[in-house]
Order: sequence, then C-alpha cells, then structure tokens
Amino acid sequence: MSAAETAMGGAVLLPLLAAALLALLPAARRRAVGCGAAVATAGLVLLTVREVSAGRTVEVALGGHRAPLGIALYADGLSALFLAMTAVVGLVVCGYAALVPASTGMRAVAVRDRARATAAAVGRGNPAAGPASRRVRRVRIAPRVPSVRIPEWRGGSGVPGESGEPGGRVRWTASNPGFWPLWLACWAGLNAVFVSGDLFNTYVGLELVGLSAVGLVALGGRGAWEAALRYLFIAVAGSILFLIAAGLIVAATGTLDLRLAAEVVAADQRTHGTALLALVLLTLGLCLKLALMPLHAWLVPAHAGSPSAVSPLMSALVIKASLFVLLRCWIWLVGSGFGDTIGPAAQVAGTDQAAATWLGWVLGALGTLALLAGGLLALRQTRLKPLIAYSTVAQVGYWFLLFPILVDPASATLEDRAVTTLAEASVVPAAIGGAVALALGHGLAKAALFLAAGFLKDRYGTDEIEALHGAGRRHPALVMAIGLATVGLVGLPLSLGFAGKWQLATAAVASGHYWMLAVLVAATLLTAAYLLKVLAALLMDADDSISDLVAAPRGADGGAGGGAGGAADGTAGEGANSGADDGTDGADVATADDAVPAAAQLAPLALGVLTVLTGLAGVWTADLLEVGAPW
Amino acid sequence: MTVLDLYLLLGAGIALAGLMRLLLVSDRFARLIAMNVLGVGSLALLLALAARSAPVDPVLSALVITGLVITVAFTGVGAVLIRRIEGEERGGEP
Repeated sequence: MSAAETAMGGAVLLPLLAAALLALLPAARRRAVGCGAAVATAGLVLLTVREVSAGRTVEVALGGHRAPLGIALYADGLSALFLAMTAVVGLVVCGYAALVPASTGMRAVAVRDRARATAAAVGRGNPAAGPASRRVRRVRIAPRVPSVRIPEWRGGSGVPGESGEPGGRVRWTASNPGFWPLWLACWAGLNAVFVSGDLFNTYVGLELVGLSAVGLVALGGRGAWEAALRYLFIAVAGSILFLIAAGLIVAATGTLDLRLAAEVVAADQRTHGTALLALVLLTLGLCLKLALMPLHAWLVPAHAGSPSAVSPLMSALVIKASLFVLLRCWIWLVGSGFGDTIGPAAQVAGTDQAAATWLGWVLGALGTLALLAGGLLALRQTRLKPLIAYSTVAQVGYWFLLFPILVDPASATLEDRAVTTLAEASVVPAAIGGAVALALGHGLAKAALFLAAGFLKDRYGTDEIEALHGAGRRHPALVMAIGLATVGLVGLPLSLGFAGKWQLATAAVASGHYWMLAVLVAATLLTAAYLLKVLAALLMDADDSISDLVAAPRGADGGAGGGAGGAADGTAGEGANSGADDGTDGADVATADDAVPAAAQLAPLALGVLTVLTGLAGVWTADLLEVGAPW
Repeated sequence: MTVLDLYLLLGAGIALAGLMRLLLVSDRFARLIAMNVLGVGSLALLLALAARSAPVDPVLSALVITGLVITVAFTGVGAVLIRRIEGEERGGEP
C-alpha cells in the first residue's frame, strides 16, 4: 500500500479508534487526547487530498478483502473536496471546544457536597429568556418541587443554582466531556462516507454519523433531548429507505459498487425500472436527512438547540454526508447509468427515463421552495441560532437546483446555446461544480456563523437578537467573522459561494433554465436581508437601558450583570425559577468571562477568512473535481 | 404469485405502515415501535430479494445483519432518550 492509501484508511480508522479510546479515558484527559487525534486525522486527510489533487484516484481494499463483503475505499475529486472541508471545519471547531469547554454541552452532576457544589456553580438564571420559552418551561416544570435559592455569588443574580429533584439532587453544569468521543466517531463516519467505495460502506458510514450526531445533539441537556430524539427518528427512517434502495440495486445489478452498477444499468434496459425505484427511495431517504423543504421541521430544534460547539458540526458537516451520497448516486446512476437516454432530447424516451427527469424537476422545485420559504422564515426569527438554522434550511435549496440541469442539460433552442461559452458537454460538470462549491462554501460560512452565535450565547446567556444590540463594540473580531461569513453565504465576489453561484448560473443559462436566474437573485436578496439584520443589530448601539443591561456580560461588568439579574428577580420569582430549572437553551449559561475566553473568537474569524479566501482557489477546486469524475 | 412475491409485498406493506406511523404519530414510544416496524419491514423485503437466487445472496444477507445491529443500537439510544425525557417530565431522576 502506498502512503496515500494508508493515509486514506487511517483517516477513517484513526478517529474511530481514538473515539473508543477517549470513551475509556477519564474526562480530564479527553481534551488533550481529542485534539491530538483531530490533528493527526487532519494530517492523514491532507495526505489523501494531496494524492488526489495530483490527479490520481486512491483505491484500497482494507485487509485485502474485496468488495462486496470486504471494505473497499475509493477517493476521487468529489471525496477529496468534502474530506478537506470536513478536516478544516473539524479542526477549527475542535480548537474552539478545547478553548471553551462550556461550549461542549451540559452535564448533570449529582450534588453531594453542598459547599463544593455551590462554589462550582455557574451563574444561573437568564433574565433575557423570552416570554414564550418561559411559558413553555413553566408548563413543563409545573409538577416539580420548587427550587432552593442560593445566595448571591460572584456578582451574580442570586438565582437558584440547583433544582430540587425528588430522586436526588442534580445540578446542570456547562461542559460535557462526552463531546470528544462522539465528535471523533462522527468524524470517522463522515470520512467513511466520503471515501466509501460501495453502497454497503456508505450505509454503515451514514449510520455512524447519524448515531453520533444524535448523541452530540443530546449533549445540550434536557431541552435538547426532545430534538435529539426527533432527529434520531428522521435519521433512522432516512437510512432504512437508503438500505432498501441499496438492496434493490444489488438485486437488479448484482453489485454494490456504484460505478459497476451504473455500467450494468447503462447496458441493460430491463434494470431501469428497479434502478429508478431505488433512486426514488434513496432520494426520499436522503432528503429526509438533508431537511429539504417540506421535510425540514426536525432541523431547526436539532441545530439551534445543540451546544455551541455542536451546532457548527451539525450544520456544516453532518448534512453534507447525505448531500455527498445523493450527489454520488445521482451523478453516477443518472448521469452515466441512464446515460444519453435521459431528458426530452433522448431518442429512446422510455417511461423510466421520463420518470427520472420528472423526479429531477420535483427536486428542483422543492429546492426553489426551500430557498424562498426558508429565507422568509429565517427573516422572521428573533433569535440568532434559529435564524442561522433556518438559513441552513434555505441554503439546502441551492444544491437541489442542480437536479433539473442534470436531467435536462440540453437547451431546446439553438440560440440559447450561443449565449454562453460553455460547450454542451460541459454544462453538467459546471452545474455540479457550482453545487459542490456552494456546499463547501456553506460548510465554512455556516460553521463560522454558528460558532460566533454560540460564542455570544455562551457569553451573554441569550441569543435574542434584540438583547445583543451593541455586542459588536465589545467583539469586533466576532462581528468581522459574521461579516465574512455573510459575504460567503450571500455569494459576494471572491468567496467560494460566489464561484459556485456563478458556475450554477452559467450552467443554467447554457441549458436554457432561465427561471433559475430569478430564483438565484431572489435567494441572494433574502440571504442578504436576514444576515444583514443580524449584523445591523450587532453593530448598532443599544438604544434603551433595558437592552444595554441585558447585553452586559456578567463577569466583565459585574454591576450591570447584577442589575440585570436583580431585574429578573424583581419581575417574578417564578421566572427566575424557570430559568434555573431549565438545563439548556442557554437559559443558564451566562457563564463568567473566563469560561468563554476572548481568544475563542479567533475560531469563527479563521473560518470566516477561509470562506472568502477559498474563492481564490476556485480553479484548484474545479480541477480537483475532475479527478475520477464520470463525465 | 410465488411465495417470494408474497414476502416482497408483505415486507413493503409493513415498511410502509411503519414509515407512516413513524411520521404521523406524536407519542414517543409509539414512534420508537414504528421505527422498529419499519426496520422489520425493510429487512423482510431485503431477505425476500436475497432468496430469489438459488444460493441465498450473501451480500443482501450481510446488509440485513448490519441493518439489524444498527436498528438495535438506535432503539437503545432512543429508549434511553425517551426515559430521560419522560423522567424529567414526571420530575424524577434524569
């Protein structure tokens, strides 16, 4: 085995072994070992990507066992791009989690020693909790024993720091060492999906990602469990549909290898019916996991309710695994499998091909719906993390605009073709390149946004946009990061998002899909609208005393923090109780200054800078995508 | 209609029923059961597909076994989550 082949196997196995090891290690050592394993994994990914960027695909059969029952790994340009993005985002988020352990979730600790517990308490109670969430909480905690109030601590609000529980005292503290093994297992799953050579391994990888992602969401504590459970059901339903599809492909073609299966499908008309059914099932399953518009309801609580270090991973990476598989299956099976017989220009326009074309159009329509409706929903949000989560729902739509071009690449009239310089054969590659660039750009920018939002939420205990007025003056680097991510998501020139949007638009024009330009423009305007709403709020000074109080950090500005806490106490003891009883939702993570060091702002800033700089690597990206591509 | 066709239809029917229930019901435990029904349906479907060739297709059997293991893992995690959520609601130990 060459170095690159070993590295590719290692990129899957190393994080998996590290995850198992980390689960056994005591909590105190996990951070250092976890970071070490993350750096090593990123190094192995780098070796693999370097080999692929030299124009060679990497193939390896682990242990010498061949597919279908062995584990065959295969990396081409598409794999390399997603591997690289995962490594970059994963490393930066690891750095953030190491700097800010409080961002890794909430942990229930049994309270034994009263005095020690009090000393360890973080400031509790969130004066800025919205009225809606408070109402919900009150309903939920109604049958509980009232909380015990502890005296003021560290200029805090004197809000109860623990909840009385009949079954024993339990305190929720920030930081959960379970993050490290779960994240490395998730990374192993992601890498496994990206370098998988057949559908069997893809399925196992997807399940590993799903299971560890459920665990990561559940790290958020009580309020996140419901979202985690909902996510679990969706993930399993999606995977089972994918499993049935994989079974159908094996039954029809006799192979799990997508490349071989595509050849069989292309050669044999009789397999088209089964292949189409498989395509429908796996598309439905993966769209569930990708939260395409009508199937998006699970995404917002799961992504917005996750701990600060988990949200970026969920949004930037976990849904990309499903996107990657969807692209693989469509590009190989439809692009080369159904071959030239697809689309209206087909000479043999059988019903199966027509159905595949129709399916592509449905996906395009749902993508458009996601872009427009998701953007409008994002615009209506008043809290930062749900806004960013809805932005993910919207951005998913961009990637689905690819499908109408994929199934219908030829323009109906000759004049249309003259508009652009794209040769007919390069329309589909340009569209795929555009969608991939948009997905990669989204990964970097969304990770930066979620990290920045998590920083603000951890620091101020709220992510109400109203309450964060003027935070920009205290954290210029953070606002810079949000600004750069905005540039990337909106798709302003230089960023990867711009390169992707440009390619997609060029391909749309070349294939006569002029309607897509209108969708792209509308989506761009909506994205700009909701992200500028955030930026404007952060940059504006607080215009009244109430929001100024709320925005004050507890540790750095003890007087104001105490004042805010006092105000909350004054409004209603009940409100303070509900804040304290809730273990999640940022309601009681108004941590002290030292728990969220200012240096942590560098993580979103680094990702923001990368969002813009990667636009310069557009040519390299396009060349890399060509490696081992089926066109 | 052969026995295998019957199993194919049965598997598809069970899977569809499970999927519908999983997506439509709101009770957590009922959803967990529905998830398992969906799993059983899909595995029956795959086994029926595998049995079509004279020696049973080992690849499809491997898919079924893997699917079983993974469904058990997810059911366990789901059950723990449900216990915790409902324990919280009753005010008990998490």
